[in-house]
Amino acid sequence: MQRSNRETRPHALSAVASTARLPPRFPQRYTRHNGPRAVKGWSTAGPTSASRTLSRRSLLRMASLAGAAAVVPVTGCAAGPTEQGAVTTLRFMQNKPEVVGYFNQVIRDFEALNPDIHVIQDFNEGNFVPGLVRNDPPDVVTRGFAQATGDFVRKGIFADLSELPEASTVDPQIQDLVNSWGQYNGHEISALPFSLAAAGVIYNRDIFDAHGVAVPTTWDAFTAACETFRAAGITPIYGTFKDPWTLAQGMFDYVSGGVLDTAEFFGSLNAKGADVSAAAAESFTSNFRPVLPRMLQLASFSQNGASSKNYSDGNAAFAKGQAAMYLQGPWALSPLVAANKEVRLGTFPLPATNNPADTKARVNVDMALSITRNTPNMAAARRFVAYLMEPAVVNAYNEKHAAFSPLKGAPPVTNPQITGLAESVSNARFYQGAATYFPPSVPLHNYIQSFVYSRNGDQFLAALDDEWRRVAERTAV
Amino acid sequence: MPTTIPGDPMTTSAAVASARAVPAATTTSAVTRAPRRIDPTYYWMVVPVLALFAFFITLPALVGVFFSLTNYAGYGDWKFIGFANYVNIFKDPAILQSYIFTFVFALTATVVVNVVALAIALGLNAKIKWRTGIRTVFFIPMVLSALVVSFVFNYLFSNTLPVLAERLGFTPLATSILANENLAWLAIVLVTVWQAAPGATIIYLAGLQSVPAEVYEAADLDGAGNFRQLLSLTLPLILGYLVINVILGFKGFLGTYEIIVGLTGGGPGMATQSVAMRIFSGFTGGDYSYQMANAVIYFLITLLISIIQLRLIQRRGVAL
Repeated sequence: MQRSNRETRPHALSAVASTARLPPRFPQRYTRHNGPRAVKGWSTAGPTSASRTLSRRSLLRMASLAGAAAVVPVTGCAAGPTEQGAVTTLRFMQNKPEVVGYFNQVIRDFEALNPDIHVIQDFNEGNFVPGLVRNDPPDVVTRGFAQATGDFVRKGIFADLSELPEASTVDPQIQDLVNSWGQYNGHEISALPFSLAAAGVIYNRDIFDAHGVAVPTTWDAFTAACETFRAAGITPIYGTFKDPWTLAQGMFDYVSGGVLDTAEFFGSLNAKGADVSAAAAESFTSNFRPVLPRMLQLASFSQNGASSKNYSDGNAAFAKGQAAMYLQGPWALSPLVAANKEVRLGTFPLPATNNPADTKARVNVDMALSITRNTPNMAAARRFVAYLMEPAVVNAYNEKHAAFSPLKGAPPVTNPQITGLAESVSNARFYQGAATYFPPSVPLHNYIQSFVYSRNGDQFLAALDDEWRRVAERTAV
Repeated sequence: MPTTIPGDPMTTSAAVASARAVPAATTTSAVTRAPRRIDPTYYWMVVPVLALFAFFITLPALVGVFFSLTNYAGYGDWKFIGFANYVNIFKDPAILQSYIFTFVFALTATVVVNVVALAIALGLNAKIKWRTGIRTVFFIPMVLSALVVSFVFNYLFSNTLPVLAERLGFTPLATSILANENLAWLAIVLVTVWQAAPGATIIYLAGLQSVPAEVYEAADLDGAGNFRQLLSLTLPLILGYLVINVILGFKGFLGTYEIIVGLTGGGPGMATQSVAMRIFSGFTGGDYSYQMANAVIYFLITLLISIIQLRLIQRRGVAL
């Protein structure tokens, strides 16, 4: 999910610190040793209950980690298993720090039913890759599904869940979203969708009502609505260009997803591999040209000085009614309500063409459950995943967090903030954002920001073609 | 011509402390006095540190070099691909751009930091009122973390400054300079100078205090003016300190990272991506081996620059 892009740097700092401490063993394949238990538990950000401040105890911890790191390569696989008595300890890493409370409750309920399993929650997703490098990843993981997670799947990091009975309870069209990122050995189910986030244009219902504007279903109606607001002295769309990820998940994804078939485009682009040139029929230059003028038009509907406003500025301003619309996903809803309890919000999918039948919502599998392939606690992990996939747990989570349940026969959403997207989601008129198809090594967000400032479309598309080809070249070998 | 820079050049505070105490002879007395029997204490001092250094720095660095020859993503399967990563780096204009940015930035920052720091040091070394208090004020930026400083400046540049500029009708600053692809790097230089100047100032102050007062008295008697004294006496006498500052500063600015993260995050667009940021992106981007190759190349370049600098210093008769 997009927000993780904002988080990478601070987390990554700790990532490097830990990789520097422990040189990666040279894994022939990704195998997990039972050995370095001494490191386990210290290596993550720690359970949620632990204080995150730097106390004397945490300093001692760090010292003992350094000591453990020094010992591990020598002692190798000598240490014993994790079980203390009959209790198995599972490490559960989930990717959304804002829902820690919900999962603490779920874990308490699960432990009450399963006294032989103890679950530790970790919400610092930035520790996942370092955990892999150390051959010590968590047992159960939730991740947002996009290119980066697809890469883990293709490298066989996750166990096959296709035989879990819970796998058949998932809506196949939503399971396909996960599978579209690749399947290990061509058929495995590496993750079960837990939560589907749908994004569109968040709008202020009061401002729409006050100016008699109905939810637009065509691009022309949309621009007409923007002109109405502008004529009334209201900023049509609040822009937060200083945070480039907001441009990527907003105007870039919404317009490209509405104008093009992104899944097909990236499918053929990936099939073409390193041969793609700007002139090729599969290139960005050949396909993305119709997207660009509409992006610039959206940018022109933003307030003056959007380039010095970031995501949190945008939340504060939009919640106070300083603009009619806001190109953000459902994750912005709770900060908006937190900033102004009175604000009445709705969401509609951006109509990127003049044919209402083309209008689609941007979705992403915001959380999908996986078990790491080489966990020594496979049986316990499967029991935990089975519990998490119970309809009561899944549906309650999604209802509470303005998301859509991926299960068959889930109750319809009632939250007025997202009901405008319900029709698109239930008819599977959705797409995964174009930005999520890019490998993280391409600084796409910066390129988009650069394009919005310079308005130089040729340079932008040529840069994307170049970057894509270079990454394909070096990952193909 | 000053000949010896005392103290460990890696830590400025140590340099200052020893500069004040013993300006000349800090070469280990054991070597000069008893070359045959070496006190084992020295080994106790050196060997554990050497072992830690090898284990925590040299070994991981070698592992990194090893993986730069593979297509390892940081996890999962990998195989040897020879020098393909190195070849690809030279074909990557984005990497080249980050090198150009980093070197231009490091050169500019080094020059500005040293000019500012020397001016401050000269002022603080003069007999002015409230000297100790003013010195303390000037050293505060050194105590603050660079990341904190850059977040504060980020706010000033994005919110305070545009509002002020708009009130005063000064349009060039009415939009944040951090959002301007051509000017954002100047903001980074400004914050870097603000943060790095105190460290350089301390070294210059130490140098200024090592200049004996008699030479100025003699110059006064000879009728040399203040400016002439600065040019012909002070600067040559603290040349060694200037060299230290330039070398340490340049080396530090080549690795610039956290101030950019706090201010622009490498943007707007690709305008302020430093080499260190690109290398770092390999850890999160699944591009580990490629950026490791970048790191090896960058290491060789900085090594080359260091050797050239050392040669230049030795020719001037300054020993590190």
